[in-house]
Amino acid sequence: MGNFTKLIYNELTKMYIRKSTWVMYILLGVIILGIGIIANMYGELEESYEQDTWREVLQKENGQLTTEMEQEEFLQGINTSLIETNNYYLENDIQPVGYGAWQFVMENEILLSLVSLLTIIVAAGIVANEFRWGTIKLILIRPITRTKILASKYIAVLFFSLFTLLFVLLFSWIIGAIFFGVESMNPSIVLEKNTGLEYVSVFGEIISGYGYQLVTLVMMATFAFMISTVFRNSALAIGTAIFLMMVGNQIVFFFIERSWAKYILFANTDLNQYTNGNTPLIEGMTMGFSVTVLIVYYAVFLLLSWVFFTKRDVAGY
Amino acid sequence: MSETAMELMDVKKRIGKKEIIKGLSFTINKGEIFGLIGPNGAGKTTTIRMMVGLMQLSNGDVKILGKSIKTNYKEAIREVGAIVENPEMYPFMTGAQNLAHYARMIPGISKKRVQEVVRIVGLEKAMKEKVGKYSLGMRQRLGIAQALLHKPSILILDEPTNGLDPAGIREIRMYIRRLATEQNVAVIISSHLLSEIELMCDRIGIIKNGELVALQQVNEKADQNNLNQIQMEVTPVERAIELLKAHHGIHAVQVEESLSFQSEKENIPSLVQTFVQNDVSVFQVEVTKSTLEDKFFDLIGENTIG
Repeated sequence: MGNFTKLIYNELTKMYIRKSTWVMYILLGVIILGIGIIANMYGELEESYEQDTWREVLQKENGQLTTEMEQEEFLQGINTSLIETNNYYLENDIQPVGYGAWQFVMENEILLSLVSLLTIIVAAGIVANEFRWGTIKLILIRPITRTKILASKYIAVLFFSLFTLLFVLLFSWIIGAIFFGVESMNPSIVLEKNTGLEYVSVFGEIISGYGYQLVTLVMMATFAFMISTVFRNSALAIGTAIFLMMVGNQIVFFFIERSWAKYILFANTDLNQYTNGNTPLIEGMTMGFSVTVLIVYYAVFLLLSWVFFTKRDVAGY
Repeated sequence: MSETAMELMDVKKRIGKKEIIKGLSFTINKGEIFGLIGPNGAGKTTTIRMMVGLMQLSNGDVKILGKSIKTNYKEAIREVGAIVENPEMYPFMTGAQNLAHYARMIPGISKKRVQEVVRIVGLEKAMKEKVGKYSLGMRQRLGIAQALLHKPSILILDEPTNGLDPAGIREIRMYIRRLATEQNVAVIISSHLLSEIELMCDRIGIIKNGELVALQQVNEKADQNNLNQIQMEVTPVERAIELLKAHHGIHAVQVEESLSFQSEKENIPSLVQTFVQNDVSVFQVEVTKSTLEDKFFDLIGENTIG
């Protein structure tokens, strides 16, 4: 192992040797299992469609949905779109796949905000805890530059988020496979997009859905990392990062009339606003603009962390 | 013998407008045990922090085997093993895991070396226990083990005997002495326990208000000066003081129930004789070496010691 690899290994060891990290994973696992159980009990999901009968099954479903709609006013919206989806299959003569592990994974996209949350907690502690434990003094008196130590810590945080993300994907898939079975290795389904209904690959949806959310994850983790390094206080870092993550959109809407609103970080974290025919939050914003703004924020976060970590004295308490 | 291991050259530290270290210059030789003492807030820890690069120098330079801590940090710090303030370790990891962690940070530390260091500090049995369960003494030993991993030329220990029992203190003291004589390691020790420093060190520097107020060889004083501090428990005390003045010209003071004065050790029998002949009862005679402590108090003032 090279010198730098060993540093990253050290950081990951310190992370995964602690029980609190495993509690996070257990929590994630329980939540995924819970979603699986609930979906299994209450979802009226057709598990599979037979080659020769799927047309009748869909038509029967449509009939049920229409009667439901007449009885319950509030079901109108959702049932209409379900009927439209079914009609799309019928009109285009596509045999639908039943609900399976891949779709379960796709729907668990929301869990990525939990991954963000856990990554923030880890990022917030990785520098501040060393100061709290006093171990920072023993780390910094090694023949290693402070820049390298900081970089190893940051990369370890990214590894943590990657591992956690993989855990969510894998565990969701396993739970999905147990409860709903695996329909095919690369299923496609009809989804409602801005441009209308579209027949898309579930796999592609998973990648783009999780991918777009990764932007927020990385930005907020880097933000927490910065606060942790500058103020050497993990609680403050967790608090501000989670608070901003939750109210980020409200902040943007509060200032939306101002000319500088488009420079707010949270106006740019959702890159999905430029795809699938969506309209950008503020007129005139483009993908290129948002990516530039994100890079600038990212660079500033890292630069501040670096300056404070390498230049400041490690004094007593 | 007098090869320089570390050199401080007009080291100053300013925080804001306040100058907390006001120009320290001294050298520490290879194979020497150097004690740094001073009251709390005198700048001991700040000085140590600057020696190991945790704090930046406002002025001057620290050279370790000729390498500057400012311009050649990596090379310079490679020669240093240290505990700064308390021996803080990761409480959720075992002793072995803690040492492995630090071993990974410096190239070329073998597993054998780790075991060797563990044996040196006598922690073999506790290696698989979590550090959170360690006593302060055990943490201190682990701290020393960590500092020794890479065979440093200079060992800096902040309050190394803090929390150790008398047997442990003796062991560590002997080990430090062996390191200095056998492997020619320069050891820098800070402490507020003066007797401790005196027993362990070859030379001491006394720091007060960020300045070096004295630098002296520990043994040379005893050679030059044969006066001992003598305490005698006698009754009646007033009569004894008069007798000492009249017969021996010694000026004694009363400390609680006893007398305190300075004299040569050879005089004691005749002093006792005087007391007995004059009906003064002698209960106890105590001789203390004329010590560093007195010098320390002279320089610093008794009230400021922490």
